[in-house]
Amino acid sequence: MNTEQNSSDPRIDNDLKTVSYVANNNGLQELTPGSIWDPVHTVNEQAWREIEKQIASSRRKITAGKRSPLHYYMTANQMSADLLARYTHQSRWRVRLHLLPFFFKMMGGKTLKNYADFFKISVEDLQNGRLKPPLYAHHEG
Amino acid sequence: MKDNPDTVHDFPHTQSAHCESGVAANLLSHRGLHFSEAMAFGIGAGLFFGYLPFIRVNGLPLVTYRSAAGTILKRLGRLPGVVIEQKRFRDRKRAMDELDGLLAKGVPVGLQTGVFWLPYFPAALRFHFNAHNLVVYGKEGGDYLISDPVFAGPVRCAAEDLARARFASGALAPRGKMYTLTRVPQHLDRGPHIIKAIDSVCRTMVASRFPLIGIRGIRLLANRVERWPKRLGEDRAALHLGHVVRMQEEIGTGGGGFRFMYAAFLQESAEVLGDDFLRDCSATLTEAGDRWRHFAVMAARVCKKRPRPDDTYTAMATQIRQCASLEENVFRQLGNWLRD
Repeated sequence: MNTEQNSSDPRIDNDLKTVSYVANNNGLQELTPGSIWDPVHTVNEQAWREIEKQIASSRRKITAGKRSPLHYYMTANQMSADLLARYTHQSRWRVRLHLLPFFFKMMGGKTLKNYADFFKISVEDLQNGRLKPPLYAHHEG
Repeated sequence: MKDNPDTVHDFPHTQSAHCESGVAANLLSHRGLHFSEAMAFGIGAGLFFGYLPFIRVNGLPLVTYRSAAGTILKRLGRLPGVVIEQKRFRDRKRAMDELDGLLAKGVPVGLQTGVFWLPYFPAALRFHFNAHNLVVYGKEGGDYLISDPVFAGPVRCAAEDLARARFASGALAPRGKMYTLTRVPQHLDRGPHIIKAIDSVCRTMVASRFPLIGIRGIRLLANRVERWPKRLGEDRAALHLGHVVRMQEEIGTGGGGFRFMYAAFLQESAEVLGDDFLRDCSATLTEAGDRWRHFAVMAARVCKKRPRPDDTYTAMATQIRQCASLEENVFRQLGNWLRD
């Protein structure tokens, strides 16, 4: 089954070659090579648009001084305060406080370095609020 | 980690549709017990349905078309003569050292990993999903040589990235889980295991008392889908819908929410057992998979905000109900067949 739409759209998945089960003329299932099915492509794009919306809203909050740069890095990497806390071995409320500019500025060098190493950025980038691309964009050419 | 010499071994990489059954099939075949992916999926009793709205994935209700991560490997490990040794770690360095140790001995190692941390995945597919399985079969320089079953050929991954992927946090955290096949029988009579596995799937699909799983779960999902636009508004409803389609059709499902893969298993089993009845069941399940896909196509048009006049939530719910009826048919018949 196929949809007639969007075959000309650029593929966000780099046109990854996959295999899936497709029934042949005799109705027998065969492992068949192909690309990711178009409807999947559509819903993946939908999911990314949602993430981009969240990133844009995070940027706005940072510019308005309501959130710290850490909020951007957390959102851009699709994390919640809970998940970020687990990755950085801290309590949830500590991370939540660091998302606010007031507490972010009081953060010690060690904590800053912990976050910077985790997001693979420099301490200066984080401290000065330079918003670098998220982790999954680092390897893209 | 870096001073270990290079270890490169042959590992027959076969691309598959689903990571866990693919890894299981590749590891078993590597040890001389040939298994197709579909057979591993079937004997591992991988087919399932669950609609669990109290578990949230990115704020959306969990819909699953397969049994819990790790079930397939667990069931295959129970086959007579098969021994799978599994280990989890607290310490990252120890986890990587033990991996290196096994590779030095020429043992291919299965790992559970978080997709978000694997740089060889296209950026667009790097979500926080922590139950991705792959096989590491060698090390060259600082890179691990990986047979990732959903990719066409072997891939490479830097040691630091693989370490991060093995210790991904969040739901289904792998905690460094690694497993190796330590013993494999020379021959295996598949018949009885096929029957046992089909029985187990039939039970969860039609005889579960829990209303959120199996056929009852599918019907519940249909009812919920019908009410989404009213309860959530158009935008949120479309997000929920897109999420269902992703769980159903995303890379790793083989299409049609694993239904096609299970149909392939039934078809293969028909040959093993010499029973044409299983072939008919396979055809009906293929039909169910086609229905699921039909629903996905409609849903994708709604998510794209380009619906056709008849792409309503009620029409989609009807599609899902038809899937439920078809699947109920298959699994009731299979249940009766088992009792004969």
